[in-house]
Amino acid sequence: MKIEQRQKDQIEFFELDGELDFHTSPEFREKLQGLMQKQVKKIVINLKKVTYIDSSGLATFVEVLQKTKRYGGQLELTELAPAVRSVFEIAKLDKVFSLTESENEALQKLS
Amino acid sequence: MRCKITPIISLAWLGNPHLEKSFLLDADSRQLVTFRDQLRALLRNAALDEKASGEVLLAVQEALTNVLRHAYENSSGKIEVAFLEDNEKIKISICDFGKKFDLTKVPDPVLPRDKPGGLGVYLIKKLMDQVDYDTSFQEGNLLHLIKFKNRTHK
Repeated sequence: MKIEQRQKDQIEFFELDGELDFHTSPEFREKLQGLMQKQVKKIVINLKKVTYIDSSGLATFVEVLQKTKRYGGQLELTELAPAVRSVFEIAKLDKVFSLTESENEALQKLS
Repeated sequence: MRCKITPIISLAWLGNPHLEKSFLLDADSRQLVTFRDQLRALLRNAALDEKASGEVLLAVQEALTNVLRHAYENSSGKIEVAFLEDNEKIKISICDFGKKFDLTKVPDPVLPRDKPGGLGVYLIKKLMDQVDYDTSFQEGNLLHLIKFKNRTHK
């Protein structure tokens, strides 16, 4: 899986490309841990190129959401492919996460 | 050692065409990723829609991850997987020789989860139409995951 990371206007952006599973999520989790330690307030993760997610991938997001909430940060997941969104829905996590259709919408929610 | 999930006598001549394929895997996370591609190719040719295929793929991967974590506790071991497709269903049987772990006995979690983890078994049960744990298999675990072809989605 490819992980692209960029920063703009104090917002940390991630774009993931590939499959987020038990094999790839530890690397992504490690990158996010760094942000959690710095207590980065605004994080946007674009999932449009993520074709597959498993329970390890979901667990990574749940952990990040918990930690960001704890220090008053915000996490936006955007552009989920139908197959990935459906896994969030089955786990009822679509009610917990802020899932948006576009990066613009995600940015509006952050401001 | 082999499980009792190797192909049975073909019924194709009785007008019930089916496909059977079996795989012997090492309990290794990289091999599971390779196997996912093989399973994806089999499912692509099966008469299942894309959503149902994705559900089977994820359920099988979650079941295999459980074998690594719970049956073999991240040590080495063998896993046998049998794929069967007939007119009615896709059936995937997963067999290991590790510690007993009957996932059908795991209670459903309260959703949404407020802490990471604990979703794998729930996903397997939710994504498949039928999940059977064979208690007669003494040497380890034998799990059957079934998806019916003409069933509307849950």
